[in-house]
Amino acid sequence: MLLSLPISPASSGAVLCRNRRSESCTAVIRLAACTDGSLRAPPPVTVINAVRGGAVPRATRSRRFEALLSGTNAAACRPAPRAGEPPPRRGPWPALRAAGRAKMAAGGGRYFCTAGRGLEPFLAREVRARLGATEVDRVSGKVFFSTEAEPGELRKLKSGERLFLLLKKHTPIPVSRNKGKVLHEIKSLVIEEPKYWLDVISIWRNLHGCGGQKDNVSQENPSPLKRKSEEANIATKRQKMEQVRGTMSEECQAEGGERCVVPERKSDQDCWTESKTSLEDPSKSSGEEPIANEQLSFSFRVSCRCSGAIAKILTSQIFIHLNDIHSVVGIPLFRLPLANREYIKTAGLRSTIAWAMASLAEISAGAFVLDPMCGLGTILLEAAKEWPEACYWGADISDSQLEGADVNIRTAGLMDKIELLKASVKALPLPSESFDAVISDIPFGKKFKITKDIQLLPDILQEMERVLRVGGTIVLLLSQDLHKCMDGITKHAENDSPNAISDGASETTTAKALNVDGNSSSLVNGIEESFLSSRQTRFGSLVPDGVYEVSLGKTDAFIYKYRKISSAGNQ
Amino acid sequence: MKLLTHNLLSSHVRGLRPGGGFPLQIQASEVRVRPVPFNAAFVARLVPRLRWAALLEAAESLGHPSELPPEPAADYEGDESFLRRVHHILLEVEVLEGVLQCPDSGRRFPISRGIPNMLLSEEEA
Repeated sequence: MLLSLPISPASSGAVLCRNRRSESCTAVIRLAACTDGSLRAPPPVTVINAVRGGAVPRATRSRRFEALLSGTNAAACRPAPRAGEPPPRRGPWPALRAAGRAKMAAGGGRYFCTAGRGLEPFLAREVRARLGATEVDRVSGKVFFSTEAEPGELRKLKSGERLFLLLKKHTPIPVSRNKGKVLHEIKSLVIEEPKYWLDVISIWRNLHGCGGQKDNVSQENPSPLKRKSEEANIATKRQKMEQVRGTMSEECQAEGGERCVVPERKSDQDCWTESKTSLEDPSKSSGEEPIANEQLSFSFRVSCRCSGAIAKILTSQIFIHLNDIHSVVGIPLFRLPLANREYIKTAGLRSTIAWAMASLAEISAGAFVLDPMCGLGTILLEAAKEWPEACYWGADISDSQLEGADVNIRTAGLMDKIELLKASVKALPLPSESFDAVISDIPFGKKFKITKDIQLLPDILQEMERVLRVGGTIVLLLSQDLHKCMDGITKHAENDSPNAISDGASETTTAKALNVDGNSSSLVNGIEESFLSSRQTRFGSLVPDGVYEVSLGKTDAFIYKYRKISSAGNQ
Repeated sequence: MKLLTHNLLSSHVRGLRPGGGFPLQIQASEVRVRPVPFNAAFVARLVPRLRWAALLEAAESLGHPSELPPEPAADYEGDESFLRRVHHILLEVEVLEGVLQCPDSGRRFPISRGIPNMLLSEEEA
């Protein structure tokens, strides 16, 4: 079933198509607003061939899309380059930029930024602090806000995933058994009120007039490593999507629930998740952006399984997120997610979480900060980038990790700020009470066998506490298993005197988790009891100061913050 | 390894007297001097946290006599030439290859590619 629409001069065309055989559905939106000073009426847009899940070979698909594009106004919208002028690649676009500045000064825009689950409060705080954002609205997985900040500032957001210009935000699409009706609703959501489109497009264009070129430049510096990892990422994403699509093809037609046309994160409910990466990955377009064309025409695609060739022609995409809370339409601002830091060569921990942890540590000017299990140094990199007026040390027992960290530090240009040591967190070669903050992602429970390494946790905490000065903070990232163990250790020490701990298996009280929502965790299990009871801990001087549950993608983890209070009374 | 780091490093070999294991004696085979942008306020904040005698001794042993006084003067914060000398010796001089030796146990810790290896074996720790 194909739908096509007559299009008035200042509007867009949206087409939904459905292929009965595979029961999958792809929404493709074709918008062409040519601005060489006038608006041309695009002819009615016809479809787009149905894209079936997984079955269509890439080559075929891309031929179909090329056919589509050649048959539409895309060509018509691209006036021939003026004689004698080379297509501007990285040069300034004076007219657009000037217009852009005026527009920015006039009022900025409304945006939304996606965030990993658990990081929304950090992101909300960050947009207020960094961008002076107003009308900040936080929902699960997204933060909406308004700001007049320029793209350079927007690009600096550290705790968000992807940033979009908000096109529309509506109440949820009404659920109905009638599929046609639902499709119609989606179509209306997207194409109604074309004026919105043009307004937002001009904002987007202005933003990219100012900052788009810089984006291209920085991303055309990719190291082969990054490119490979992006491609590998895409390959695995595609495979994953094909599996997801396979299983979800039935449910895609189901009513209600979530339908993500271009989601930023995989979740079980995502249907036809998509190759946004194929558009955003600059390596696919072999570094040659059709800049001249971007200047003159403007086209979108949504959730297309198309090959890299398309990325060269289409300038952007639409993000539509439909769920029970709202229906949101937006245009992504940047090609790569914010979480991709150009200053980090090889990421360990996700950069957004690393930044969030550093932001909890209260790093002030002149602070001494330690990561005693630094791995590739992600936390130190994020912290040193944001709070450069401090001194950072990283320690690890692994040569290969330290080498990776060294490379990362050089790539980021932070050699003046971060020093590395080969040392064990169980025996830090550092004086007592010499650091203001200790921040670490504790790797146990993720890679190593949990039972063996849990026994190390009290020693580790003890050393961390020893090197920390009074009033300093410890911020740790713990897996779920360690989270349960942690409460056992620290609560134990708070409740019991040292003697009782070494005697008293029976005193192992229920460890209450100090969650922000006040739920209590389960009892400390048998393994932990046995070693807890045999150790004297000194955690009486560490006071919990917040627990934050965050999503690492497949699993959840917990950020723990502790503050060291006066240790008088503990030997 | 910068001298700022050296100012913190101590040996934790078991059985040392309290306060032992510091300062580590530097035997450097490769030293590099690399300019670092100077920030007076930043350096001034570092001064009170330093163990001064150890810093002077380390500078001497590297052949970079620092022309620093035996103790920071009372008004060090306003003394830019003093702060610049501190900045230089603390942040611009790096030991790339060499050995750190514990003054009490004699244990030697190698420095390779600028990273000191402070790992102790099970028996030592």
